[in-house]
Amino acid sequence: MPADLNMKILVVDDMSTMRRIVKNILKQIGFTNMDEAENGQEALTKLRAEPFGFVVSDWNMPVMPGIELLRAIRADEKLKHIPVLMVTAEAQKENLIEAIQAGVNNYVVKPFTAETMQEKINKIFNK
Amino acid sequence: MIIRDPVARSGQQEPSGHRELDDEEPEDTQLYEKLGELTRFIDKTIKTISQFSAPMSATTEQLPDATAYLKDLRKLTEDGTHRIMQLVEGIEENRKRADMQLDALVNGLAGSDAATVASKIMTIRATLAADNKPLMDIITALSFQDLVAQSVNKLVTIIEEVEHKLLELVVVFGPYTKGAGKAEASKASDMLKQLSATKNTSMKQDLADEILKQYGFN
Repeated sequence: MPADLNMKILVVDDMSTMRRIVKNILKQIGFTNMDEAENGQEALTKLRAEPFGFVVSDWNMPVMPGIELLRAIRADEKLKHIPVLMVTAEAQKENLIEAIQAGVNNYVVKPFTAETMQEKINKIFNK
Repeated sequence: MIIRDPVARSGQQEPSGHRELDDEEPEDTQLYEKLGELTRFIDKTIKTISQFSAPMSATTEQLPDATAYLKDLRKLTEDGTHRIMQLVEGIEENRKRADMQLDALVNGLAGSDAATVASKIMTIRATLAADNKPLMDIITALSFQDLVAQSVNKLVTIIEEVEHKLLELVVVFGPYTKGAGKAEASKASDMLKQLSATKNTSMKQDLADEILKQYGFN
């Protein structure tokens, strides 16, 4: 099933520039409805307050890192169905395996291209 | 450790000056050897510490500034990246306006003899459209700022740690003296090694994809 271009996407990263870059790429792909959060805790609050169709999250963040956010999403009955894409500089093999075991839908290593991100999003939604 | 007194056990008076060790008491010989070894070690350590105390003081003086500069660097790169992105986004918007203007022009010319002109305008549009990918690439390439910030964060952490340790050493080992030398180079080398180690454990997207594949992500 192709991605719904009107679904609300949550972009989670502690760096404002990265949030902006990811939002620009998503906009280029055709998504129009986006929100952002600075860390996992803020993201969880937003996810519990309103419906989101997709989460793009960094790993390394203060307060609550991306891996904990992912685990919290998968442990929450109301949120566990939301696809999560990790976009991160945490590029050790162990990190990727940890994310897979926690239930990540796909993983993009920084630095990345718009094509890579689009390819990963397509894989998530065209299964 | 129990230290036995050979004089007390033999009941003889200890001769002044040099004292000969009894071959029949290997434990005492070993003890003296160990004590000699320990004395040489302490002497060497004191000399080493006295050599390094001055450079350590100089390093400690510089480190707070270095930390401040690195924190500034993070802010500057962040602001700079925002500025560039603002410009790129402006270009994108401008190009959208140009596209709409071209549409209007083509529609006005379609029914006239100026069809050739319209065709040329369409070529211009295709040329403009070719800019889309490079523009997006500029934005994506700016993700370097995030990586720079992460490296800077690591450096700041290392420097703060070194600063703390050096301060401890200065407090423990004596007065604060001026001077500089090998200590800075040694610490800088350690920092670079740590950063280099982190870099070497990173992997590329290709490898990430390979692992994802192994876990059933096609």
